[in-house]
Amino acid sequence: MIGRAWWIPWLWLAPTLALLGVFLVYPSVDTIRRSFLDARSQEFVGLDNYEFIVDNPTPLAADTHAALLNNMLWLTVFTAVCVGLGLVMAVMTARVRYEAAAKAAIFVPMAISFVAVSVIWRFMYEIDADVGTVNAIFSELGKDPVAWLINTDAPQKPFVDVPPNDAPAPFQVNNFALIAVGVWNWTGFTLVILSAGLKSIPDDVMEAARVDGAGEWQIFRRITLPMMSPTIVVVTTTLVIQTLKTFDLVWVMTGGRFKTDVVATLFFKEAFLFRDFGVGAALAVVLMLFVVPIMLISIRRFQMQEEIR
Amino acid sequence: MPLGIRSRIFPFLLVVLVGLALAFAACGDDDDDDGDETPSPTPTEGVTGTPTDAPDIGTVDVIGQGWGDAELAGFEALVQPWEDSTGGDVAFTGTREITAQLTTRVEGNNPPDVALPAEIGLFQQFAREGLLAPLSECAGLEEKITAEYPQGFIDLGTVDGTLYGFFMKADTKGTIFYDPAYFDANGLTPLTADSSFDDLIALTDEILALGLPPWSMGQFANGGTGFPGTDFIQQILLNEAGGAAYDGVIDGSVPFTDADVKDAFEKFGQIALTDGYTSQGSADVINATSFQDAVFPPFEDPPEAAMTYMGGFASGFIAEQFPGAVPATDYDFFPFPGGGVTGGANIAYAFNSDPTTCSFLEHLASAEAQQIWVDLGGFTSVNSGVDLSAYPDVIARAQAEQLTLAETFRFDLDDAIGGDLQSTFFVGVTEYLANPGDLDSILADIEAVR
Repeated sequence: MIGRAWWIPWLWLAPTLALLGVFLVYPSVDTIRRSFLDARSQEFVGLDNYEFIVDNPTPLAADTHAALLNNMLWLTVFTAVCVGLGLVMAVMTARVRYEAAAKAAIFVPMAISFVAVSVIWRFMYEIDADVGTVNAIFSELGKDPVAWLINTDAPQKPFVDVPPNDAPAPFQVNNFALIAVGVWNWTGFTLVILSAGLKSIPDDVMEAARVDGAGEWQIFRRITLPMMSPTIVVVTTTLVIQTLKTFDLVWVMTGGRFKTDVVATLFFKEAFLFRDFGVGAALAVVLMLFVVPIMLISIRRFQMQEEIR
Repeated sequence: MPLGIRSRIFPFLLVVLVGLALAFAACGDDDDDDGDETPSPTPTEGVTGTPTDAPDIGTVDVIGQGWGDAELAGFEALVQPWEDSTGGDVAFTGTREITAQLTTRVEGNNPPDVALPAEIGLFQQFAREGLLAPLSECAGLEEKITAEYPQGFIDLGTVDGTLYGFFMKADTKGTIFYDPAYFDANGLTPLTADSSFDDLIALTDEILALGLPPWSMGQFANGGTGFPGTDFIQQILLNEAGGAAYDGVIDGSVPFTDADVKDAFEKFGQIALTDGYTSQGSADVINATSFQDAVFPPFEDPPEAAMTYMGGFASGFIAEQFPGAVPATDYDFFPFPGGGVTGGANIAYAFNSDPTTCSFLEHLASAEAQQIWVDLGGFTSVNSGVDLSAYPDVIARAQAEQLTLAETFRFDLDDAIGGDLQSTFFVGVTEYLANPGDLDSILADIEAVR
């Protein structure tokens, strides 16, 4: 290495650091500061805003518990289904000749803006069977049309009429309807990345396993999955972060109404519609706290990979 | 210099320069507080006029509701004479999220010059915080408003004794639309302002006996879902409990848990939830049907319902959906029973009193300017200088008459309250439709937000 002054790398980083400072660090610090102030950001109120989130005194105006539970549901169900479906489809498309076309078709929804996706699916979910595709299918099958975006019954009710009628809070038909839209949108992303990961498994390992007499399912479970685990972790991390940012989908389809609120739509309402910047900031901080463990895991893995090199 | 460093310095300097340029661009807007020179934000629909040559009049930055094509055309026609005569320019930004836009821009010390929202809760907050310019700061404007506008609207634009805003583009919410041909064919008589709510129920039962669902109702409107229900309830409240009770709900002296409010909810529930009364059938479907789609069933061929309650703007939807429909023959409205009329309007208020802003406001408030939009349709003016004969069709004229001549008129209740209480009221209505048995706790929850 040519002898470099120690400060040269920092000089190269300076513009980026400046931008990060202005657009990332300063707003984050300011948000944390505002979460301890009142609605107009004038007076110090300590933990009142966080208490508001915990107590949920006005569930009709802003249901903080519902928002947090819904975010948990999105986190678990959306991520699991997207990754699971992506994995299954990656394995299946690897075996067909029209692989590229299939992957392209599944990836197309990623290219559409989230708002456009929401508008499309709003039409799909229309209650009028002449307009709403999903309800048209339902009425062909002889069932009653379902108000997908409004119905808060237990999720099995539209399909199979078995009790219970009311499942606990986040398990609602409309939440799952929204998550379905998210899955439709994002599965292309997981498919493409997992497919690349799948192809990085050396062929001779697979062949050796087949020669040894392993069945397809065993190969999948004992060879494919473990060897793809780094890719799966990357995809999962990205999806988890994406889920926590979910806003446009929920906002355009239901406006957060009918208990579909997530933390992002809720703090938008609080800060920009109700002009309560204290509670809005507190909610944003809570969201940031959710992301922190994920970021730590991500950074740890990155450091481990660097060490391996 | 060694070659290595020289070849590194140039790209390095380039990067630093670009970074600094970006940083300055980001910080630039904060220094800008001169209203006239504020660069216009990228408008969703731009309204441009002739380039300015008069030194006084520059660009006026206006934020308004998310108007559709027809409404924008009307607005552009209204401002054109001002642009032509003064050389000024109107930079109009229309948005559905007008509350969020205004809140963000005010928070960021970059308010627009003029705002034209439909709800006055935020307007009152801004006025109390001293962010608005009183209309008296524009020469002659306050006198003009006081002379040409009805006292009720002047009072609504006044906060703590000072006049801050005036109203344009009003809309009546005391209209029930129906198909006159169907009524004539079946011997039904539309109600009048002197009718009572019981007469409305009697009419409903008459139509039900004929085998047609009497009502069509839809609540869905994204984040504003429930507003048709709140409109219906406030009409009932005004006509059954009177203006004083109505005003009390707005200022807080009458809580939502009051017997009059509960009664209004229950009467609304009677129409919406009684078996067979609505073509939608169940609360779920009513909540899921969009308010626009709910206006069409009475005018389909064959009709799927007999009546629909919606604000005066619905006549625009009907005309668009059924081209060739003749006003008063194919569609008409009768007044909500009781004679009390609620209505909404866009309020115009300003954050500064620069010469450009004042000049624009004077033009906007004038009868001549408003007459231009009136002629194009879809606009009801509350300026007494606009003659009723200027309205393009008989329905528009009837709506204007209803607004200006109503014995008892009140501004839309939820628009008057604004903020989280307005939002909770909407949610409360859809909750009530889904769970009518929970009315008491719903009303208590709404009141708790106040």
